[in-house]
Amino acid sequence: MILRPTKVSYQVIAFYTGKVILGVGLLMVIPLLTAIGFQEWDAAVDFVISIALSLIIGFATQAYFRTEKDLNWGEGLVVSAGSWFWAVLLAAMPYWLSGHLATYLDACFDTMSGFTTTGLFMMQDLDHISVALNMWRHLITFAGGQGIVVIALTFLFRGTAGAYKLYVGEGKDERLLPNVVQTARAIWLVSTVYLILGTLVLWLINLYLGFEPVMGFFDAAWSFMTAWSTGGFAPSSFNGMYYHSAARDIVMVIVMMIGTMNFALHWAIWTGKRREILKNLEIQTFAVTIVIFSGLAIVGLAKAGVYEDALSMVRKVAVMMASAHTTTGMATIYSRAFVTEWGPIGLTAAIFAMMVGGSACSTSGGIKAIRVGLIAKSTYADIRASILPESAVIKTRYHHIKDSFLNEPLLRAAYTIVVLYLAVYLFSAVVGTFYGYDFLQSLFEGVSAASNSGLSCGLTSPAMPEFMKVLYLFTMWLGRLEFVSAFALGGHFISVFKGK
Amino acid sequence: MVKITKAKKRIALEITILVVVMVTLVLSLTIMKKPTERELKWVNPNEVSSSQLVEKPSLFNKHEIEFTGEAVTARMVRDNGDGGKGAWIHLNDDSYMYRSVGSGGSLSGYNSGVAVWVHDVALTDAIKNFGGYKTNGDVVKISGIFNAACSVHGGDIDVHATSVEVVSKGLDTVRVVPKWKVAVAIIFVLLAVMMFAIDHRRTLREKFGQWRPLNERD
Repeated sequence: MILRPTKVSYQVIAFYTGKVILGVGLLMVIPLLTAIGFQEWDAAVDFVISIALSLIIGFATQAYFRTEKDLNWGEGLVVSAGSWFWAVLLAAMPYWLSGHLATYLDACFDTMSGFTTTGLFMMQDLDHISVALNMWRHLITFAGGQGIVVIALTFLFRGTAGAYKLYVGEGKDERLLPNVVQTARAIWLVSTVYLILGTLVLWLINLYLGFEPVMGFFDAAWSFMTAWSTGGFAPSSFNGMYYHSAARDIVMVIVMMIGTMNFALHWAIWTGKRREILKNLEIQTFAVTIVIFSGLAIVGLAKAGVYEDALSMVRKVAVMMASAHTTTGMATIYSRAFVTEWGPIGLTAAIFAMMVGGSACSTSGGIKAIRVGLIAKSTYADIRASILPESAVIKTRYHHIKDSFLNEPLLRAAYTIVVLYLAVYLFSAVVGTFYGYDFLQSLFEGVSAASNSGLSCGLTSPAMPEFMKVLYLFTMWLGRLEFVSAFALGGHFISVFKGK
Repeated sequence: MVKITKAKKRIALEITILVVVMVTLVLSLTIMKKPTERELKWVNPNEVSSSQLVEKPSLFNKHEIEFTGEAVTARMVRDNGDGGKGAWIHLNDDSYMYRSVGSGGSLSGYNSGVAVWVHDVALTDAIKNFGGYKTNGDVVKISGIFNAACSVHGGDIDVHATSVEVVSKGLDTVRVVPKWKVAVAIIFVLLAVMMFAIDHRRTLREKFGQWRPLNERD
């Protein structure tokens, strides 16, 4: 029997959602200060309006739905999933006020893309936007990578038991420390230390590349944010093609790779367990798949004879496949080059890489390497079982932070998520084909959105059908939350109407 | 007769404030509007546009081309490998090249352009304005060799320019903050302060239990 949510339940959901909304409002103070620093008064007013609007809604919900009650599982998941929509709606305000987006839907598309660390965008005349708006674009990617709720957990929540439900609801399920608020703070600690180091390294490279010191610094910070969060936005319409530097490409690939690692793995390495990186099933799976897909792309490009020398080809493939597999979306080729130069084999290699994605409990999207690794191990075990005598007992062990045995519930959960991802990928491709786009290109774009990659082969544009924009917006959200919270939110709406 | 306590009066007052806040919010949102767009009849000045170069790179590979576009972002000066200095510039030949969105240009899609390597940095000295938030960049005409996958520059699509000429000077963008935005900002800030005050009062009440200021006691 489905139970209709009680008044208290609504109160709890509204109260905690209000806290997340306040977090989004406070985050906008950074671009506001940037606008003031650069004397971009029009942008500054845009951010004042957006901050004030977020605070009005945040304080109002907090004041009028004040409660001492803690969240239960269902409410926690609904708050997590619902908060993303509120965050997207409010974060889109400065985008829309800037005048660089045709509709509010386009603005929401960009903010959803940012928060989910996807990187597809609708913003027009990107090369003439304010420094403040560029800061906001990259900041929401950075914040979204760690998780909007994680931000709120870090700064606005006390250590309640309900906080853990919010944390899980955002697609993260590994506790680095016993207390979930401490875990959220640990995630921020790891990210902030890397942000400082990464920005410094990229800034030095930028100075060498001929940047002005101030804009070189901002560019470095944004580039780090986008690579670490596996986001894909860039301050220039040329994206990764703006820099023309092998050194920068190498650093960006390293940052993308680190960014796609599980936060639990980061924490293990931080606390001295360095051998974990070699033993971890996720890393092993990622290493195998990236080599296979990169090999496939190299074969395709060599066959097509696109690049004159092997070094150029390897460099392009290394950056683009790292970008696809980590679901970053940074591009050192034009979007259309996937179609006009990389051809069907290269396109397919990139699609597979995006499908698999990075690590669970990280900033990246996609099916996740751990699930592919578990399914591969289980398939191998099944093959062994068919060869060995019937009486043989096969137990399959795997290592992820600690040694564990494969079991039925774990595999079922992995298969369920994989099937759901594949269904969303396929559905997006079919819808694209229905609108007259080529199937492979539709699949590429659909996979890119749902796996939060952000690479484009040219389909995504402000001129694309509105339904496809809404579909991608929705699949970006589904992919980021790994379905569970989205189902909880759907279940909540059903219970409102059908519950007893 | 129902006795109206001070607590009930307070709740009624707060609900009234909330209603006023929400109504003001909605009314403020209705006065928001998109910046005025002026239609611009624009024709790409290039015989072969950047979109065509990207769509069919192999067709134009190693061909000498002329290309005109707005210089955007900045010039990056680097060693040219011959002991001298060269520079990277980026030229956009999209509809924003003469009028960006901030200068009243209409929205017409993404930016589009090509990267240009100039072996002798001195050729780029005449470019003074680069397109950005506060500036429309100089419109620059270059001629040079188009590379579909430049082996010197890691397989990039680029043009190696042999001549650079500034066709028209860029200008600073005049951005005036619209009055309606300022009005909305003031209203919203006042409403936010009001909501903060209400929330803060409740927090204090929660923190100090039954404590009430004297004038609010029943």
